[in-house]
Amino acid sequence: MNIHEYQAKKLLNNNGIFIPKGQIAYTPLEAQTVAKKISRKGPWILKAQIHAGARSKGHFTEKNAGLGSGIRFVENLEDVYKNAGQMLGATLVTPQATQGNYVSRIYVEEFMKIKQSFYLGMGIDRTSASIVLLAANTSNEDIEKIVSDSPEKIFRSPVGRRGPTKNQSLKVANFLELNSQATENFHKFVMGMFKTFINNDAIMVEINPAGVLSGGEIVALDAKIILDDKALFRHPDNLPLRDNDNLLPAVIKASRYGFSYVEYGGNIGCIVNGEGLAWAMKGLNAKGFDIGCSLNVKGGVDRDKIAAGIKIIASNPRIDGIIINIFGGFLRCDLIADGIIDAAAEVGLNIPMVVRFEGTNRSKAVEILKNSALPLTMAESTSDAMEKIVKAIKENM
Amino acid sequence: MPFLVDKNTRILIQGITGTQASFQVRRSIEYGSNIVCGVTPGKGKTEHLGVPVFDTVAEAVANTHPDASLIFVPGSSVKPAVSEALSAGIKLLVCISAGVPVNDMLEINNMLCVAKARMIGPNTPGLIVPNQTRMGIFPENIFHSGNVGIVSRSSTLTYEAVLEVNRSGKGESAVVGLGDDMVIGMNFADSLKLFHEDNDTSAIVMIGEMGGVFEEEGADWYKNYNKKKPIICYIAGDDQTFNKTIGYTNDIITHGHITLEMKKKHLRQSGIIVVDKMNQIHAALSRL
Repeated sequence: MNIHEYQAKKLLNNNGIFIPKGQIAYTPLEAQTVAKKISRKGPWILKAQIHAGARSKGHFTEKNAGLGSGIRFVENLEDVYKNAGQMLGATLVTPQATQGNYVSRIYVEEFMKIKQSFYLGMGIDRTSASIVLLAANTSNEDIEKIVSDSPEKIFRSPVGRRGPTKNQSLKVANFLELNSQATENFHKFVMGMFKTFINNDAIMVEINPAGVLSGGEIVALDAKIILDDKALFRHPDNLPLRDNDNLLPAVIKASRYGFSYVEYGGNIGCIVNGEGLAWAMKGLNAKGFDIGCSLNVKGGVDRDKIAAGIKIIASNPRIDGIIINIFGGFLRCDLIADGIIDAAAEVGLNIPMVVRFEGTNRSKAVEILKNSALPLTMAESTSDAMEKIVKAIKENM
Repeated sequence: MPFLVDKNTRILIQGITGTQASFQVRRSIEYGSNIVCGVTPGKGKTEHLGVPVFDTVAEAVANTHPDASLIFVPGSSVKPAVSEALSAGIKLLVCISAGVPVNDMLEINNMLCVAKARMIGPNTPGLIVPNQTRMGIFPENIFHSGNVGIVSRSSTLTYEAVLEVNRSGKGESAVVGLGDDMVIGMNFADSLKLFHEDNDTSAIVMIGEMGGVFEEEGADWYKNYNKKKPIICYIAGDDQTFNKTIGYTNDIITHGHITLEMKKKHLRQSGIIVVDKMNQIHAALSRL
């Protein structure tokens, strides 16, 4: 689960990391009010809260949102109001979010002057099955440039179950060329980051940049955290951090049934038990026909849920035909057959549908559909299903 | 032994009394798997599916001497279940459970390393040796005994790969699902090595996925291995789905952003035959 910058900073702060004063605002008036609370005079920073990075390199698609990026420095309260009004409700496109993200809230923060800046990341190295700490000095060039041009300038160090050792922190601080006061504060800062990681079951914590203040204190100026969905049961306090503003309605609907929904570019909707089946069908057929969206029903389902899932796919206006491709292992094909009949009874079948069953209870499922006399085509394999749906769509046009 | 197990392997089921476990284990018994006992805390001294149930793995081991454990407990209970099995001396685990927290998997990998044990999964269809034993949830009727080993990260595409092998007129020596969680137990490198050590396997089908570099690691092992058996690989997923990055950390960990083409190229350079579409596997196998 992705969370916003302001939420990430709160989690970091709970674990002893110093953050600038800031508050969230949903309206221009709110932005002005909280700006006044934060400090009596500017400058302030207005930061669009979206689940993607590179906001300062982004732009808004709406003309009336002004030319500024998703991060704006403002000097006076009128400009706070004006810029907040431009950003809120607008769509922000950044190099990391090319499809655009709706901005429902902005974070208003005090401006802090720093002497030095650096990138700090903590993530999962899947190869060694361990947490890894990454660091780079970003005082002269930003992390994006370092990643692409000079990755040797990134320090990389595995982190043990008890967190970085004092010695390890010292090595990183030296690598970052921190001044002596900041070096002294650095271990506490990294430990705060580690505690945030472990205490919340995060799979990534990124502070980019962190800044060194004139007194040597270290501050997290920006932060990104990804939480492990599978561990949310251990952290009920983190559940309200979920923000569905940038999710497609179909994704939210699908998640209610424990399904996942993915949009692709084409015009064929598919229902699968495993995203792999959708990937295998992508690009299988003639020009102009490809997978447009997939609903992955995974393992545990019942008749009602399947019917609801079929409705989600059928209600996508871009879809000209549906493939139901189920390879039952855990999942029984006959449950899907029952769901198809229920969905057809409720919403009707007005676009072509091809069904391919394989695996657990296949023959029972085929029998159920045969007896239903629904106008659908049975397929023998994944590629057969693609061929048959393309043929059916062409005939239906 | 084709791939870690055969029909004589004595199997313990952790979480045997659950609904799904019962459904699947009954099928495994019918398939011929040597299921010797089950563990469900609180249900000790009972019997289920014709085998004794114990409260703890230690009791189960003392009484029935299993060689391997098949785990069906909820994802949140996998860590203690693995810990218990390892303490009781079990060296091979197959974990079907989905929803295991990533941080638990880090600790589990540590425990496996210390105990010098292997775990397949989590979130896997398991391991099957056709006509011998079924440690998992595979639709057993699609398998045919033969000489092609299959190792896959995607569950449903494992089954598709079996159909492709059958279509080429061949059968399977063993089929193993690695699971597509962020952190897994057994990886490609280890599985490819085991298939190379197995006399019953003459070729390997590998189903990879975008995300991470498990495939590349397998390829690097293969590149340096002398007596190569042919490997045919399909990579599922595309850049459209996998190019969404939040921040820079994950790309830095993999030493840069990895595209589908980069992955394919890496594998091809290591001598692996990479097909672009799933349904090209049978033809590639026929050409060997």
